[in-house]
Amino acid sequence: MRAAAGTVALGDLDDHRRSLAIWAVAVAAVSAMYTSFYPTINAGDWASMLDSMPKGLMTAMGFDSIATAAGYVTSTVYSLIGLALVLVHGIARGSQLIAGDEEAGILELELTAPVTRTSTYVERLAALWLDLLAVVAAVTVTILVLTTALSLDLSWGAVLVASALMWVTGGLFATLALAVGAATGRRGTALAVAAGVAVATYVLRAIGNLTGAAWMTSVSPFDWYLGSDPLGTGGVSGGGIALLLGVTVACAVAGLVGLRRRDLMV
Amino acid sequence: MSDIAISIRGLVKDYATVRALNGVDLDVRRGEVLGFLGPNGAGKSTTIRILLDLLRPTAGTAEILGVPTHLATPELRARVGYLPGELSMPPAKTAGGYLHYLAALRGGAGADRITSLADRFSLDLDRRIHGLSKGNKQKVGVVQAFMHSPELLILDEPTSGLDPLLQREFLDLVGEAHDAGATVLMSSHVLSEVEESAGRVAIIREGVVVDVDDVAELRRRAGQQVLLQFDEPADVAWLSQVPDLTDVVADGTSLHVRLHGEPDALLKTAARHHVVRWHAQDRELEDLFLDTYRGRSLSADGGR
Repeated sequence: MRAAAGTVALGDLDDHRRSLAIWAVAVAAVSAMYTSFYPTINAGDWASMLDSMPKGLMTAMGFDSIATAAGYVTSTVYSLIGLALVLVHGIARGSQLIAGDEEAGILELELTAPVTRTSTYVERLAALWLDLLAVVAAVTVTILVLTTALSLDLSWGAVLVASALMWVTGGLFATLALAVGAATGRRGTALAVAAGVAVATYVLRAIGNLTGAAWMTSVSPFDWYLGSDPLGTGGVSGGGIALLLGVTVACAVAGLVGLRRRDLMV
Repeated sequence: MSDIAISIRGLVKDYATVRALNGVDLDVRRGEVLGFLGPNGAGKSTTIRILLDLLRPTAGTAEILGVPTHLATPELRARVGYLPGELSMPPAKTAGGYLHYLAALRGGAGADRITSLADRFSLDLDRRIHGLSKGNKQKVGVVQAFMHSPELLILDEPTSGLDPLLQREFLDLVGEAHDAGATVLMSSHVLSEVEESAGRVAIIREGVVVDVDDVAELRRRAGQQVLLQFDEPADVAWLSQVPDLTDVVADGTSLHVRLHGEPDALLKTAARHHVVRWHAQDRELEDLFLDTYRGRSLSADGGR
């Protein structure tokens, strides 16, 4: 008899339910903290103070539309602290799921059970995305609650669109970490590559925005995600979402090919 | 159905800088218990991990239950039980929780035997794995390998960490699986562990299987260590006409000899002198194993 579909994925989520809950609560709390500052910022002399700051800095930090609710929440949560926490969690879990378990030796008994390398990889990938979905959902609910409570000028539809895109963007880098870990068996390599690419492309977008170098922004997954100003417009860039999903699928497939070919537990 | 459960031909495995296996050939017959012996680093675990398709061979082929290892399906793996040499398990899970997870990976097979096997080995299923001693962790490994009553058991150093009482219990378990028709490949670097339950023994050394034989035949070849003490200074030449002797050493009034056959000729020859004391002891297969490890040719040993 072989394993029922979902045994590995659900088992993994069950193992990590406590750390997942803690992450979800932490990301939600930080998001709530930043968002609830908005009314005080909006009421004060912030707008004039921000106007006096160097325009280049404002652009680089993505603060150019910080005076609106959508601009503020995008700048603080969706493109900064919330995003960063989603990425840290996703990359850490992604590198742990195959490479971390392999280095710890835990993968050996699972892979010699009636499963295939492909099924164990796909189920871990599913667990990773469900895990991220839970964290992003916690942020989303927080923003929606505060939108109502503080009468923020945000559309629920736009919040859902922005959250979905943040999930996909976090998922891309988490998948990259999983794939590098699966192909190499090295958790440190997976962490370094995924975190390195995330930081590099984030900085590239900021510099691109600052200097007007379009190629810099256009190669950054963060521009695919934020380029259409999803929270402000509720709009999605078709090209952006296609790139996010396309690159994710390419990473996932490459990781699987690597995992199927190599020696495990060396 | 073929009567060969495991078939290995010309298996070579290179790691980055070292050759771990250098042409391993081995057949394990259906229904037999085969002891797979060699010192640490000889290639036992590498061979076993290729059988489980964790490693891919550089050259050569390996089949389990008639299927090349790299084509093993979940259905084939369901018929195999495996105990790794270095057992690692998720530390935060309880022993019982982990065993039930592994049973779920087998579609539930074996879940009903977890409690009875745990009782047999006095394993507390409610303890978390990180709090278990090495021996208790090994019990979890033994339970998961046997719980689904597989037809092929591949056990890498199964008794390491188990105290003598539990080793006894483990060997009984192997015996029961054997009686039920299972095939067992069991590695060890300690011969006495497999001597009792194994019908045949394969000895691997530096990545090559150097000898495969019945335990009884190996025991004959290992021979007996015999001490004869006389009432006068002894001379090696006294025994020069006795067959099946090696390593004849004189020590004052004593002769130490290694006997690889019937003692009849030795006794008759020795009795021409006055024998004041005599002592004979079966050599441990361990000693034979050391002979092999030192690089002596087994087939040239024992005056054959």
